[in-house]
Amino acid sequence: MHLVLFFIFGGFCVAGALNLLLQRHPINSALSLIVVMTSLAVLYLLLGAEFLAAVQVIVYSGAIMVLFTFVIMLLNAQREERTHGSRAAYILGFPGAAALFALLTFIFISNGKSLGFAVLGPDMVSTSQLSSVLFRDLLLPFEVTSVLILIAILGAVALARHHEPHKDESKTQGKER
Amino acid sequence: MSAVSYSQLVWVTLPEIALVVAALAVLACDGTVLRGAAIARRRGVAALLACVGSVAAMLLVGSGPASFHLPDGMLVMDGRTRVVQVALLVLTILTVLLSEAMLTPAAEGVAGGKTAFTHHIGEYFALLLFATVAVLFLVSTQNFLLIFLALEFLSLVLYILTGFDKQSQLSTEAALKYFLFGGISAAFLLFGISLIYGLSGSIDLSQIAVAALQPDPLWMIAIVMVVVGFGFKVAAAPFHLWAPDAYQGAPTISAGFVSSSSKVASFFIFAQVLTLGVFGAAGSGMWHGAAPGWVPVLCVVAALSLLLGNLAALVQTSLRRLLAYSAIGHAGYLLLAIIAHTPQSTSALLYYVFTYALTVLGAFGVLAALEAQGIDRIADVAGLSRRAPFLSACMLVFLLSLAGIPPLAGFFGKFWLFGTALNAAPQLGLFWLVMLAILMSVVALVYYLRVLKQIFVADVPANAGAIHSGLVTRVTLGVMAAATVVLGCDPGLLIRWVVR
Amino acid sequence: MNFWWFLLLSIIKIAVVLVILLTAVAYTVLLERKVVGRIQNRWGPSRVGPFGLLQPLADGLKLFLKEDLLPTAVYKPLYILAPVIALACALTSIAVVPFGADIKFKGVDLFQIANVNIGLLVILAVTSVGVYGIALSGWSSNNKYSLLGALRSSAQLVSYELALGLSLVGVVLRAGSLNLRTIVDVQATHGALSWNIFGGFQIVAFFVYLTAAYAETNRTPFDLPEAESELTAGYHTEYSSMKFAMFFMSEYANMITVSCVATLLFLGGWSSPFGHLFPSFGPVIDAILPVFWFVAKVFFFLFVYIWVRGTLPRFRYDQLMGFGWKVLLPVAIANIVVTSLWLGFTRPL
Repeated sequence: MHLVLFFIFGGFCVAGALNLLLQRHPINSALSLIVVMTSLAVLYLLLGAEFLAAVQVIVYSGAIMVLFTFVIMLLNAQREERTHGSRAAYILGFPGAAALFALLTFIFISNGKSLGFAVLGPDMVSTSQLSSVLFRDLLLPFEVTSVLILIAILGAVALARHHEPHKDESKTQGKER
Repeated sequence: MSAVSYSQLVWVTLPEIALVVAALAVLACDGTVLRGAAIARRRGVAALLACVGSVAAMLLVGSGPASFHLPDGMLVMDGRTRVVQVALLVLTILTVLLSEAMLTPAAEGVAGGKTAFTHHIGEYFALLLFATVAVLFLVSTQNFLLIFLALEFLSLVLYILTGFDKQSQLSTEAALKYFLFGGISAAFLLFGISLIYGLSGSIDLSQIAVAALQPDPLWMIAIVMVVVGFGFKVAAAPFHLWAPDAYQGAPTISAGFVSSSSKVASFFIFAQVLTLGVFGAAGSGMWHGAAPGWVPVLCVVAALSLLLGNLAALVQTSLRRLLAYSAIGHAGYLLLAIIAHTPQSTSALLYYVFTYALTVLGAFGVLAALEAQGIDRIADVAGLSRRAPFLSACMLVFLLSLAGIPPLAGFFGKFWLFGTALNAAPQLGLFWLVMLAILMSVVALVYYLRVLKQIFVADVPANAGAIHSGLVTRVTLGVMAAATVVLGCDPGLLIRWVVR
Repeated sequence: MNFWWFLLLSIIKIAVVLVILLTAVAYTVLLERKVVGRIQNRWGPSRVGPFGLLQPLADGLKLFLKEDLLPTAVYKPLYILAPVIALACALTSIAVVPFGADIKFKGVDLFQIANVNIGLLVILAVTSVGVYGIALSGWSSNNKYSLLGALRSSAQLVSYELALGLSLVGVVLRAGSLNLRTIVDVQATHGALSWNIFGGFQIVAFFVYLTAAYAETNRTPFDLPEAESELTAGYHTEYSSMKFAMFFMSEYANMITVSCVATLLFLGGWSSPFGHLFPSFGPVIDAILPVFWFVAKVFFFLFVYIWVRGTLPRFRYDQLMGFGWKVLLPVAIANIVVTSLWLGFTRPL
């Protein structure tokens, strides 16, 4: 049962990610990303992290991606114009990426057993266990993350906000907008 | 995993807390009391608060516990970490002081002159302080989780600082490039870390060290990924592509911060990760018969950085791009010290990176003081010694130190670094790399001297008047230049601190 | 627990709940028309069947038989997908709602489809995905009114979702669990006195929740996404026949879900307001009575919904946003802080 679900949603996840890259319309790409996020939530659930799964759906599918689609809709973004890309990307990039992928796959398959493994099973990590790890053992990283998010907000505001019109600045105003 | 008491956690992170409080105070002050005040006033108050915060943090670092070790290596403090933290705080204060030049509106009627690059004074200084928080965490942790978080934290601040000049398209382009490269490299780093976690079952460097004994292919992949991630942070070739654009496009002082503070912290933690975490999987970088491990990987990166940085710098026409490529070259020298991984070489690394940060920040400070004149190309500085004698003298000291000319700090740094690299374990096979580094430092001399020739020998262009700079800038630059000379003449002053 | 029994009973439960829910949706519409009619001093539907009771059937039949128009300029895949998403999300969240006491038959919970540890989060998660139905319908219709309605709606939903989620934290803190059954059990000790709205001192959270929930379901006074005077019908302007009916049903199903959650979290769910005052009436009545209480409370909330609709005018858009971010959100956060301080001091950790 777990294995079947894993393959189904793992497949969704990969297919969604590929579709995200291949689609030419931004809204289709955004929707594929939602599929990826939601499938990931199911995979978390299979690993016993139910709280994480719910939060994944609420935060990523329900909030962040809504803002993505919101922006796409607001800008009325059209199909993207494909450029041909640089020739170097075609000659070196694709074979290089393919070779790297093949190498990684080969090594993972041949040496995979030295990696640790996670058990797929019905045991759920309770929310209280999770919070005691998060707020006791990993309190410092948690707090650092909160400052990090503060920075992100600060930076977004600083970079996106209009200048207040200023006297000695009338020359440059046009460019800022 | 075991719990840490909250009070202990607060106690050991007091310096960082002081900085965060200072940053919030700067923001609050700028947003409320000084709203609508003149830019000079806002700048003065913000800089003052930032300096107070940094000094307070420095005192707290100095008076705090001399050594501690939180569970899982979450925060680790020893003598050397303290020195690095103090150095980082000093660099922050210098950056704040040098920002003055950048935030002064240009005099009326200067051709090509730029106005102050931003009106978000409070945000700018707050971000500098937050960046310092990030680097302080970065150097004092031995836990991959916090390392990654602090790196991302730092990168985020640096992206913002790079793109802070909204009037300039170059700045935006630089920030975007920096961000995209940063995102990809963070993905690599995270992949590497997750592999290491899978292989060793731990994110604590000391626990990983126990497991990292056999260099099997998975370990190699993990290490290469980690090297890619850190290689980006320290701007080593071939992960350097963001650096020239970022150095050129970013507001000058932001570029100075990227090349000084962030570099010190990144190199220190890079050395920590490799020498503490995966020490066992060193391998050998001998020219014939290299053995797998992180040493040969780094040897390749270092050699590429040395060659590419120094050779590309020869043909640059923009001063900032030149400094960027020279930074890539210097990353090559510094990697040499990491590769050697003896206790002496780590001390040499610290000495080198401190003095390098000081001089390169100084060089950017001089450029910042010239910013109001719109000077960027090498040709623009022709005859600068007649227009701004003091700034030119400072530039002379900084560039000669970067080139490694004897009485200056840069010379001793290189000398010591090469010496310790040659003394490293012979099976590492570093001889060829040291020779390459020495050769390349001769090449480096050429482009530094080209700039100096323009400054001191070339004719003053017609209609160019004298350039004035603010008092704070001049005093700060003077102190930095003097420090460069003094540390070169008596390296013992600094060595005392960096040798464990 | 036998797997086949589990499967069979689950399917039956799902079918029964779906039927009841859809019927409830239909009759909520009738109730709304009747009550609003009375508020406006008129009769409301009264021709089809006794008291107009067959009106929902007639409406359903009408919508079902109407021509399904597909405007030329729409982006077809999303245009068709959008109402499906909206309705599916509206119907899914009811799965974790417990309707009555924990009574097991062959090891299967009779009055709840799925008892999960994070039931509350599941409801939040599913409703948060429901935004896409509205957003995509507006965008794919290729109509400016639809798009504006959808934009308003997504902005509104995202803004009020924060206040909504935060208002529930106080309740969760008190219960120490995200499981809906545990949350109800905590409130069942002393009848109405121990309900969260009274004994739990969550009355502030209750009003924050109710306000945010009205905004979440696009109901008056927050029904800007479908403000007729400005946007014709908002995001579903271009929809007709069953696709329109799906949006219509999802709106009322969401109302019912919101009422269920309000009942569970603040009014003690299925627990009796009299607590254990009365003796047991025998096993069958003991099983049915909680369901009665639950339905009565949900009915009360639905009535309030309609009452509000008949009473309050619509907000202006900037007022709506300002109210959400500057009033509701801080109040919800303050409620969390006060609740956790209170719990921290009164209860040993």
